[in-house]
Amino acid sequence: MNPALRLWNLRVWGPYMRATARWPVLRSIVPFLPLLALWWAVANAEIFPRAFFPGPSEVVSSFFTLMYKGILPEYLADSVTRLVVGAAAGVALGIPLGLLVGLSQRAHTALWPILLFFQAIGDIAWLPILLIWFGFGLTTMTFVIVYTVLFPIVLNTVLGVRSIPLDLHRAARSLGASRARVVWEVVLPGAMPNIITGLRNGLGYGWRALIAAEIIVGTSGIGFLMFDARRAGSVVEIMLGMIVLGVLWYIVDAWVLAPIERATGQRWGMVQRQ
Amino acid sequence: MRRLASAAVFLLPLIVLVLLWAIVVRAFDVNPRLFPDVMSVAGAGLESLLDGTLVQHVAASMWRVFVGTVLALIVAIPMGVAMGVSPGVSSFFTPIFRFFSVLAGIAWIPIATLWFGYGFGAIVFVIFNAVFFVVAYNTLLGVASIPMALRHAAASLGAGPWQMLTQVLLPGALPNIVTGVRTGLGFAWRGLIAAEMIATNVGLGYMLFVARDFYRTEVIVFGMIVIGTLWLLIDRLLLVPLERATMERWGMVRAA
Repeated sequence: MNPALRLWNLRVWGPYMRATARWPVLRSIVPFLPLLALWWAVANAEIFPRAFFPGPSEVVSSFFTLMYKGILPEYLADSVTRLVVGAAAGVALGIPLGLLVGLSQRAHTALWPILLFFQAIGDIAWLPILLIWFGFGLTTMTFVIVYTVLFPIVLNTVLGVRSIPLDLHRAARSLGASRARVVWEVVLPGAMPNIITGLRNGLGYGWRALIAAEIIVGTSGIGFLMFDARRAGSVVEIMLGMIVLGVLWYIVDAWVLAPIERATGQRWGMVQRQ
Repeated sequence: MRRLASAAVFLLPLIVLVLLWAIVVRAFDVNPRLFPDVMSVAGAGLESLLDGTLVQHVAASMWRVFVGTVLALIVAIPMGVAMGVSPGVSSFFTPIFRFFSVLAGIAWIPIATLWFGYGFGAIVFVIFNAVFFVVAYNTLLGVASIPMALRHAAASLGAGPWQMLTQVLLPGALPNIVTGVRTGLGFAWRGLIAAEMIATNVGLGYMLFVARDFYRTEVIVFGMIVIGTLWLLIDRLLLVPLERATMERWGMVRAA
């Protein structure tokens, strides 16, 4: 083996692997350090004009400025509240609707094509007409988010419900379970992995829709922050907004949604624990 | 004959919905500035078809999606494979690509319009990065999830690097790649509509957003129908068959 590679393995890679084996959190932090260094180097070399491509130090200082002024926490709270309210409403509507369409063949024939079509129109295409109906305001944004979160949940719930073997229904029924109890103890748990997957996809689309809505409707929120900065030509604040969004969503996705998905998947024997 | 019947069953609810729409608008005498009736939407559609603006908008949008997606695939798949080959390297890059794939698409619109100006460049960039990061991330995961035993087996049977790539790594990662393409295009499509509302003067999103300025709800509703139909066609005729074919081919699900 070539000596440089050997030294690399011995001094850098080996210790890194040992450290990450001990503290798994490092695995999702350390890889960003070279990226940060690269960003810093490119910005400092002034390959692009500094105003178009600021370095990490400017972004960090603008983070503290906006934190100090209280703008960032307020906008972040606005965005997250909108998403949470929208997601909760989407779940509350989506799961019952999914159960109905999944369980009743008649409802499936009547509603499935309509669901597919409205899902295809996509949240953002609703914005213009929503602006006419509700104006530039909270109702418009809430509608867009609920709409976005709803469809992946409904479609996945239907898939989940329909993938449960009919034998299980019959077995539960013949053991004396009422219809309601079959739904509660057979159908809902059986569809759970799909419902969680639907929720994860729905939230993934939902927060993108939120950003778009905040850019276009624009009164507050991270999307508004970014587009307001764009109007003022401040790349620093745009980058800050992107990083805040990325970090926030990374944490939600990697540390909340993915483990829930994995846990239900394992619990219901969809995947094996390694 | 059975295909025809199932198509009819599929279309019937949509036809009922249109009838319901016609009746409700007529019965309640809805202000056309709030919601148009069926005939005026059809009229708007016919008008835009005849004067060629519809073709122009659809062509502009589809061309942007095509350019952005093809560029992204050309870069993302080789890069994903290269990163996935070594377990250490792939576990190193996974968080970075995960970070960027959760950010992919709409969140890049503000900076894209600043870097590239309003127009073709910014929109193609948004589509490119929506597809690129999601596909690269999924390719990386796909290649990394191929059992080492398979690769050792192929190597010990004398497979060279090229054979390894074309007969083990690419086929093994293909289901993931296709899933990545489907998700990425989903983000890209939404990003396209949003970006066209903000940053251009031709395209489907622009058509909708300009109609809003004049309260021409019939144009808006017609545009929404076009967007929905186009995506349904892309998804059902292109992506779903592709996904199903690769999944079945590689035994992920049993052919029904």
